Amino acid sequence: MSRPKTLVAAVAAAVALTASSACSGSAKKINGGGSDGNVYTSIDANNPITAGAPMNPFNASPNTFLGYDQMQLGFDKKNPADPNDFFPGLAASWTATDTGLTVQLQPNAKWSDGTPVTLADIKTSVAVAYTQGLAGPSAATANPSAGSLEVSGVKDLGGGKIEFDEQPGVKNLYFTRLALSLTIVSDKVYGSQVPADVWTTIAAAQGPDANAAKAAITKLTTEGKALAAFAPAKDVSAGPFVIDHIDPGSAVMNRNPYFYDVKKIAPKQVVVRHFTGNEQIWSYMKAGELDSAPFTAMPTNVLNQVLGAGYTRMDSVSFVGASIAFNEKVAPFDKTAVRQALAYVIDRDAVTKVGEPVGGVPNAATTGLIKAQSDTFLSADQSAALNPYKPDPAKAAALLQSAGFKKDSSGQWHLPDGSAWKITLQAVNGFSDWISASAVIANELTGFGIPTTAAVTTDFATYKKEMGAGKYAFGWWLVALGPQTDKAYNRLYGSDDGFVYTNGQITHNDSGWEHTPETYAVNGQTVATGPLTAQLSVTPVADQKPIIAQLAAATNQELPVIQIWDYTRVQFTLNKRFTNFPKTGDEALLANPPGVWMMQGYVQNK
Amino acid sequence: MTGFGRRLAGKLAMGLVMVWAVATFTFFLVRALPGNPGDVQYENYILMGMSPGQAQARVNAVYGFTSHEPLPRQYGGYLWQLAQGNLGQSTSYSGVPVAHIIGSALPWTVIPVLSGLIVSFLIGVAAGVVAAVKRSSRWGGLLSLSGSVVAGVPTFVVALLLLLVFHTEWHLLPFGGTSDYEAGWNAPYVGSVIEHAVLPVCTYALLSYGGWLLAMKSSVISVLGDDFILAAELRGITPVTRARYIGRNAILPLFTVLALSFGLMFGGSIFIENTFDYPGLGSLLLKAIGTRDYTLMSGAFLLITVAVIAANILADLCYTLIDPRVRR
Repeated sequence: MSRPKTLVAAVAAAVALTASSACSGSAKKINGGGSDGNVYTSIDANNPITAGAPMNPFNASPNTFLGYDQMQLGFDKKNPADPNDFFPGLAASWTATDTGLTVQLQPNAKWSDGTPVTLADIKTSVAVAYTQGLAGPSAATANPSAGSLEVSGVKDLGGGKIEFDEQPGVKNLYFTRLALSLTIVSDKVYGSQVPADVWTTIAAAQGPDANAAKAAITKLTTEGKALAAFAPAKDVSAGPFVIDHIDPGSAVMNRNPYFYDVKKIAPKQVVVRHFTGNEQIWSYMKAGELDSAPFTAMPTNVLNQVLGAGYTRMDSVSFVGASIAFNEKVAPFDKTAVRQALAYVIDRDAVTKVGEPVGGVPNAATTGLIKAQSDTFLSADQSAALNPYKPDPAKAAALLQSAGFKKDSSGQWHLPDGSAWKITLQAVNGFSDWISASAVIANELTGFGIPTTAAVTTDFATYKKEMGAGKYAFGWWLVALGPQTDKAYNRLYGSDDGFVYTNGQITHNDSGWEHTPETYAVNGQTVATGPLTAQLSVTPVADQKPIIAQLAAATNQELPVIQIWDYTRVQFTLNKRFTNFPKTGDEALLANPPGVWMMQGYVQNK
Repeated sequence: MTGFGRRLAGKLAMGLVMVWAVATFTFFLVRALPGNPGDVQYENYILMGMSPGQAQARVNAVYGFTSHEPLPRQYGGYLWQLAQGNLGQSTSYSGVPVAHIIGSALPWTVIPVLSGLIVSFLIGVAAGVVAAVKRSSRWGGLLSLSGSVVAGVPTFVVALLLLLVFHTEWHLLPFGGTSDYEAGWNAPYVGSVIEHAVLPVCTYALLSYGGWLLAMKSSVISVLGDDFILAAELRGITPVTRARYIGRNAILPLFTVLALSFGLMFGGSIFIENTFDYPGLGSLLLKAIGTRDYTLMSGAFLLITVAVIAANILADLCYTLIDPRVRR
């Protein structure tokens, strides 16, 4: 055959292959997207597909998907008033007892191979959690008052009832939520990966002999390494879906015919698509290919394009806020008046409009919590007493003058020692909202007479390292990580601020980067922020209000950070192939992945 | 040993030394990056709702594959494992062998980049010859201008433009992933792979075409001025023979660049893979850097190094075949 003919033949073959892809019925189409209404396409924001990674939920890059094939006993409703409020999962119901937790398994709970979920599966799952740092003394050693899942035994009470015994002498307020959040795996698949003597090792780790406990923890962690790298040959799921296969661009899951409530599950298949960044998710949405999509920071024009493609926006509370943190070891940020002055200069409405126009709400008042959560704990009077630091250049100027700062004839502020005051505001590459917002804040501060440069660190690993090393005096930081209040305040008055646990006691040292004082004087009272934060973790939510009132007032007055915006969890759904999605206001559902919506009867074929 | 054998042995020995040098350099370079693998994941675990103690314990468990031995000992172990063909275990994949992860991503870089490279080379070289020969005409000028323009446009602009037009607006070509069908040697799967590769391949080809065109044009113009062409024309050779003379001589400088491009393609094209959500080595390398996965970074860099060195050796050896002057 001559060369031109060969070329023509090759092109013809390629065209024929392409054309046949559209009309052949023999091969299995996976990314149904447009034509097959029974294929639900989405993206797991926490878990992009990773080629070559195992279908093992304990791997750092797992190819398993919470709520679809990865199951728990229950699913967190993220209720700030009740941290143990959960949707049923493999547990149909549960009762907290004085000695632990009793769980009633779903009557028809089965694995995708048709075998029932049994005590052996639960026991193996708990043992695996111990090897993965998800339970046990390894976590407790680091922070005993925060508590960890300390299960000393798992028993079958008959009739599908399982009892989780809490280690004697330990009383963890969050035992229920930690137990219900456990990933439940099949004993048939993972049992062989757990050493036969694992419960003996767990008992030693919980024992009174400190050296033996330490050795046992090391042993558990070592055993956990092999387990994290373990690659099951196939997925065995007790969830509504089971992985058919993973290709580099998507995970394809079929409906699990043995799922305990399979009649509620409308899609016959779920395709979770790979993504590398926000832009890919936007592209999928603009083309109408995703049935639901997670929140990604997006500018207003992209939001309009997405809405124009037919998507419905659903907003819910996200327990996280963006703030600017200070390193108080660096002058002049050690002065409360300076931090307050900066708060009066920064116009949070304007900054949010540019930085996070879609997924952010300007913060109402810095308290260490997002507004939705502080409203739960603070009375109307307490909230009214908080300083909102509304933009007020005159107040800012007065505060700086009271701290010895002077303004020169050109309008530029000088430090008390007479030197020019310049600020660098640090953000992180890839955090587009922080970077955009930095530019606005830099303009505002510069306009006020404090020349400010917006700088960007190459990536988060470097940012964290350099922030810890005290390299940044003024930089972005995520705060108010709830809904558990102890975790939210731990972000401000925890290890980053030098509060550490030694032999079960909290002490303060110079190891953090925030360098706030150990105590604050607020309204004539001394507020010990670190110990109060630790106290939150052992105080029932119903009794936390007085502690939170102190911490919120202290944080509002002293401003270890200036909270800029509260994030909103924005999600999108497309009512084209499926209907009956959760709506704005369905806070508990929207805090969970679509697989959990389906378990509750949502998402039906159109 | 023949002359060719001696040359081959010498180049292989030199290649091994270069691989060792680059492996050593990258080993220490990636470990000099600030931050460590656990830091990023710790933050993620905190954001996922774990307490600091739990998050730290989880990091200790998941990132237990990060070596805490002194660097010289780590280096010795790395070289020893490398000599046995073991690239080590990934930290961001909790101990999965690096060779397995790279092997999973490799085809999705080779397919689009190799196709794009070949297409752009063929079109670029042909257009370069025309642009040189017809350099005084309007068509020659237009071709040269097209080469200059596409060579100057940033990758992401071309990629986003193609994505917008052919996927978002016209719905002609798919985006994201590698296929819409379950993997297998059947027509729908292969056809779907081709469909998914069209946009990345076109982007790569379009961006590379300008470089090849301009290089070939410059080379042809240089050859056109050579005495041997004038002598041949005076001898009355046919236009086809003249074109063959010009082409064979003008393409020599491009041959080395092409061989190096084959080697460099293993680095993937981060912008193209990222824009089209194509899960190749470029995306993998980006993730490895972001998570400070030292072994995965070292493995990916080593693959690129070996590929470039191998391509270079191959180019040197082939050069002796296509250019008789080098054999002297």
